[in-house]
Amino acid sequence: MMENAWLIPIFPLVAFLVLLLVGGRLRERGAYIGIIFTLASFMLSLLTLMERFSAPTYKKTLEWLTLGGTQLTAGFEINQLNALMLVIVSLVSLLVQIYSLGYMKGEGRFSTFYAYLGFFTFAMLGLVMAPNLVQLYFFWELVGVGSFLLIGFYFYKQEAKAAAKKAFIMTRIGDVGLLIGIILLFWETGSFEYGEIFQAVQSGVISDGSLTLIAILIFVGAVGKSGQFPLHTWLPDAMEGPTPVSALIHAATMVAAGVYLVATMFPLFLASEAAMQAVAITGGFTAIFAASIASVQKDVKRVLAYSTISQLGFMMLALGTAGYVAGVFHLMTHAFFKALLFLAAGSVIHAIHTQDIERMGGLWARLKWTGPLFLVGTLAISGFPLLSGFFSKDEILMAAWTNGNYFLFILAVITSFLTAFYMFRLFFMIFAGESRRQAKQVKESPAIMLLPMLVLGVLAVISGYIQTPWFGTFLGEWLVEGNETVLGAAHSEGPAWVMILAVSVALAGILLAYMKYARTKLPREGLVKENSTLYRVLENKYYMDEIYYFTIVQMIKGISLFLSYMERFIIGGLISTVTGSIEGMGKIGSKLQSGQVQQYGMIAFLGLAVLLVIFALTGGYLR
Amino acid sequence: MTGVPLSAYLVLALVLFCIGLYGALTKRNAVIVLISIELMLNAANINLVAFSKLGVTPSITGQVFSLFTITIAAAEAAVGLAILMSLYRNRKTVNVDEMDIMKH
Amino acid sequence: MSVSGELIAFFGLALVAILGGVLLITLTKVVHMVIALVFTFLSIAGIYLLLSAEFVAIVQILIYSGAITIVMLFGIMLTKHRENDEPAKGGWQRFFLLLAIAGFAVAVYLGIYNLDIPVQPTALHEENTKQIGIELFSKYVIPFEVMSVLLLVALVGAIVLAKKDDEEGDRS
Repeated sequence: MMENAWLIPIFPLVAFLVLLLVGGRLRERGAYIGIIFTLASFMLSLLTLMERFSAPTYKKTLEWLTLGGTQLTAGFEINQLNALMLVIVSLVSLLVQIYSLGYMKGEGRFSTFYAYLGFFTFAMLGLVMAPNLVQLYFFWELVGVGSFLLIGFYFYKQEAKAAAKKAFIMTRIGDVGLLIGIILLFWETGSFEYGEIFQAVQSGVISDGSLTLIAILIFVGAVGKSGQFPLHTWLPDAMEGPTPVSALIHAATMVAAGVYLVATMFPLFLASEAAMQAVAITGGFTAIFAASIASVQKDVKRVLAYSTISQLGFMMLALGTAGYVAGVFHLMTHAFFKALLFLAAGSVIHAIHTQDIERMGGLWARLKWTGPLFLVGTLAISGFPLLSGFFSKDEILMAAWTNGNYFLFILAVITSFLTAFYMFRLFFMIFAGESRRQAKQVKESPAIMLLPMLVLGVLAVISGYIQTPWFGTFLGEWLVEGNETVLGAAHSEGPAWVMILAVSVALAGILLAYMKYARTKLPREGLVKENSTLYRVLENKYYMDEIYYFTIVQMIKGISLFLSYMERFIIGGLISTVTGSIEGMGKIGSKLQSGQVQQYGMIAFLGLAVLLVIFALTGGYLR
Repeated sequence: MTGVPLSAYLVLALVLFCIGLYGALTKRNAVIVLISIELMLNAANINLVAFSKLGVTPSITGQVFSLFTITIAAAEAAVGLAILMSLYRNRKTVNVDEMDIMKH
Repeated sequence: MSVSGELIAFFGLALVAILGGVLLITLTKVVHMVIALVFTFLSIAGIYLLLSAEFVAIVQILIYSGAITIVMLFGIMLTKHRENDEPAKGGWQRFFLLLAIAGFAVAVYLGIYNLDIPVQPTALHEENTKQIGIELFSKYVIPFEVMSVLLLVALVGAIVLAKKDDEEGDRS
């Protein structure tokens, strides 16, 4: 089955093309085309994954370009990470598309939406299958385009338009770093192939300095895509897109591309201690930074967006502390439970048509399916024992501890606590308390929306069991198979109290949120006062947008103003001087041709006089 | 033989030539332009006659040639005026500024 | 150089000639200009006399002061000129012309100044007309005849040009 894996991204592409061509005529039926093709893609991915369990890595490349002595190849590769990613992406995409059938009902540009989804799925699947960096970069940019289109789907909304542009530009900053990194890497190793690059890295051809530089540049690309500090500001704004899009792109797949990139290039990062440090510290800082913002936000999707940033920071932290398995494991579990949370949030929004959590409350009784599913997702992300998030988060904490970086470990623990706190704050504010609406106004979502949530809910519960300290570390062993020396241990062994600590901070967070928001035993303003400076700073996301606006945007505005004036006056003046002088010369020339005989005579005589004077002055005749 | 030196005649001729030149190039009336040209020819004639007496090799030839020049000037005046007449008949003007049909 | 009668005569004639020329330029009425020029032509004839060229002087008076001036006056009258001839040239053009003329005059004057030709005795004043006649009909017969042909051509040409076009149309 693996030799046919190239079909996996082709299916969504076909769906995209078909919808693009005949989508207008199909209208809502267009959705089924997208779903069927994505289903095919998912089935194939699943079969590929099954086969990969027993078969070795399959790689198939075709020669694409020969440039001098270098051959560029195009093809696909199925290794453990790729196979896993394929399944995650196609599964989430499939579920989101099914969910959208209900969520997007009544939307006029239904088929366009599915066309975009198909395009994005194609780009994302292509990205994870890429066997070399050029192809990866190619699909990396296509993913950006897909994200741009989907965020700006409600293009008639000013915020959506701005958010789409912002997302595109912010990720582009990272992309430039990635591109420079790729070029430098090619310069150093002469190849874009992962295998050859890693070989060159391990044989030590590249100096330590440039290795660190390359790794950090590639990490900059990952920072842009994964919304890490300081390029994170686009991700919360991207919530202007439809909620299923948020679930697909900004929770499960695209933002994970940055993590995937670091995981793919893991041997390169391992070779540079400084780069690993940079990844870990950026991840750790982003995790706690975003978690603190998420604790005060009032828009349900924004809370989830900051939570996503925080969790991505967690993954980066794991990778940066050599916890390859932990990072990938958390990537997988996070994809499931965060997609679940987004879809559930979408279901809530669908039911009551607001995103402001202060206007929600008491929905537990009304939304009989959404409520428990949201609870499952919340428990999973908080690291509640026996759910998927518990195992993956535990793995990350273990990795941080065994790596010996206790500062980052403490950061991670605090973030765990904050995660549990803000997720349950969200949960209680939506579902607990007294209802603020009439019963008939609140309707449970249709089954077509609940089904994908159910699937994700099940996965959010059980997906953790493939890698546990108790029942075996199946995932880790499989992931590092054949690469034990590079990727590290399948499972980080740590003291048992780490797990107990993780559980207790999670429970503490839940308890605090329960006290504050469900029981109101503690005043809601107990910890951070509504009008205190700290609260305002958090509410305004540390004023990051404002800082960017007043520094970078203004600076660029100034530069462009200067350049525009330069263009208008200096260059324009130069050009008009040239044209003016030529025009003037022409005018003088045409004036000479006046037809006035006397003028001609005058000019002729003038010439004669000048010659005579020159002659007389320079030693004339008879002298 | 003391008398007027050659250079005095030549300077007089030069001054008359310059006046004639100025008139020929600035006056707008075609008749005056023609007369100015006659003046320039006269200045040249003075030179011829002066050199015939006070030149390196004094000879009557200078006077003979001045007669030729006068003849040419007379013929030129006649033809010039004839052209002027026909032009005036066609364009109702003797203004030199307006005589630029060859340009178009 | 003592002040001789010849010198006084030369300066008087030269003054009148230059004055006539200046009047030609400064006067505004066209007829006045032509009259002013008659004085110039007459004084030039006087200059010829001073240069022992009696015949040329007579011819000068006959042709220039008589014939050409009269023809010009006829031309002026027949062409219904504007009474005043106002200069229309732009100031800068006039300025450049004056500059060029001044430059030209200075250059030529330098040449004249450097000219030093010893005065030789001549016999031009003795039987001037006879000398011219002998020269003309011995040495310059062919140019003389060519000149007569030229005059004829000019005559015919002038008549053809000045003749009215419609007359020509009637004849042909």
